[in-house]
Amino acid sequence: MTELTRIIELFQLPFMQRALLGGILTGLMGGMLGSFTILRQLSFFSDALGHSALLGISIGLLIGINPSVVLLPFAVCFALGVTYLLERTRLWTDALLNIIYSSSLAIAVIVLSFVGQYKGGLNNLLFGDILAVRELDLVFSGLLLIACTVFIGLTLRTQMLLTLHEPLAIARGVSVSAQRTAFIVLLSLVVGISIKAIGVLLVSAFVVIPACAARLLSRTFTNYVVLSAGLGALSAVAGMLISAAFNLPSGPSIVATQLVIFLTTMALPQLRALGHG
Amino acid sequence: MREIVLSVEQLTVYRETYAAVQDVSFSLESGIDTAIVGPNGAGKSTLVQAILGILPRQSGDVFILGQPLSCRGSLAPAIRQQIAYLPQNFLFDRRIPMTVEELVGLGWDKLGFQLPWKDHRKRRHAIREALVRVDAAHLMHKMISGLSGGETKRVLLAYCLVRPRRLLILDEAPAGLDVRGESEFYQLLYQLKREQGWAILQISHDLDMVRRHCDRVICLNRTLLCQGTPEVALSSDNLSAAYGSEFVRYRHRH
Repeated sequence: MTELTRIIELFQLPFMQRALLGGILTGLMGGMLGSFTILRQLSFFSDALGHSALLGISIGLLIGINPSVVLLPFAVCFALGVTYLLERTRLWTDALLNIIYSSSLAIAVIVLSFVGQYKGGLNNLLFGDILAVRELDLVFSGLLLIACTVFIGLTLRTQMLLTLHEPLAIARGVSVSAQRTAFIVLLSLVVGISIKAIGVLLVSAFVVIPACAARLLSRTFTNYVVLSAGLGALSAVAGMLISAAFNLPSGPSIVATQLVIFLTTMALPQLRALGHG
Repeated sequence: MREIVLSVEQLTVYRETYAAVQDVSFSLESGIDTAIVGPNGAGKSTLVQAILGILPRQSGDVFILGQPLSCRGSLAPAIRQQIAYLPQNFLFDRRIPMTVEELVGLGWDKLGFQLPWKDHRKRRHAIREALVRVDAAHLMHKMISGLSGGETKRVLLAYCLVRPRRLLILDEAPAGLDVRGESEFYQLLYQLKREQGWAILQISHDLDMVRRHCDRVICLNRTLLCQGTPEVALSSDNLSAAYGSEFVRYRHRH
């Protein structure tokens, strides 16, 4: 009982409330865009973007600009640059992404060596600090969630056809490159804005894991997208509660919760079969 | 006099460095079924994809229902609605969660910015009607990943007819079906063609089917070799020009 009181008291603190809201917003956005990301086999793109963001952060630190300010423009430029390269070269997507992200990471570490001791610590960059989320971050996340919802909502059918069969979509007059660019820009903004809270290493989990869990539970596309966003938010809430209850790091707790949800959805058919048996 | 649905004028399409289709001109009238025949690598799929704006063209013009297709492949949305296309192999990632109802519904949608629930009842009614017409109403709630080859083709026909169309473009549509499945597919296609008054442009390797069903034939081998009724276009001389004399001797022996 005292434990429950402690958790309730903890969530009355403004920084915990901001962290919870930040987690929910990130979970919703990551889940919504993640549902399309995994079907279009772009999961590795979000991972590479997350890792490469370290380069943006380190350049920001070197020239004395707040990393949060550098992150979003860097993420968008990176996404557009990678999309351009993918369309122009004949290399495999994962190989090309690997080249880009490992070299970005290498350059970032070299740049960081010039910066000296970063006061925020490398740990915060790698794993994020959701408890340090400010009100302004929440406003940005809220606006981005609205943008994602409006874009996906109004172009849902176009996105569905594009995901299912590209030539069929082009024959219906869909501009693939415009749609692809719009989606990639939104995805990079979501990844960019989430890095502060979750860190460069874990950010892609928010895009990939809830979507995979939702896929295992869904028969229709529309349900799948909604469920993916819902599971993203649910895992953020549950992860924050677990983190508060056991005094664990917040970002990793949310990702661990996502994993538990995913494993449960994987086990569900067997559990159902046992129930019927 | 029949209306011209499709007009192709001196169309040239490059694939990488070579002209896959060169200086091709023809037109297609409403209610007419035209087959494009020719050997592998003759540029049949390239021609069809350039007409649809999937591939860019080097030169020439394409007019669909009197409206020009822009060089970048765009066409007035109202005209786009009048065309349906079935690709050669409808290969899709079977892990995508989508029901037959959702797929056929995508044929009904106008694919611009729209609220997902707009005209919900009308849309559902049109989907049901289309599935009934291809005898696939029972598949409505089935996932597309679980469909057989024949069922997939029927569902794709429902995708085409869920809205009234004027032009149907098929790239070897029955590919992958066995003899019986193919015959059922064509039976359904021509029944729907009579009902809907579709103009059809189809790529086919089945010259016997073309002879039986099609009104006109276009022989293609990068350039347009000949066009006309099946009797004329599929004469031994023309076939030999398109496929080579060996092929014609082989066909006569069988």
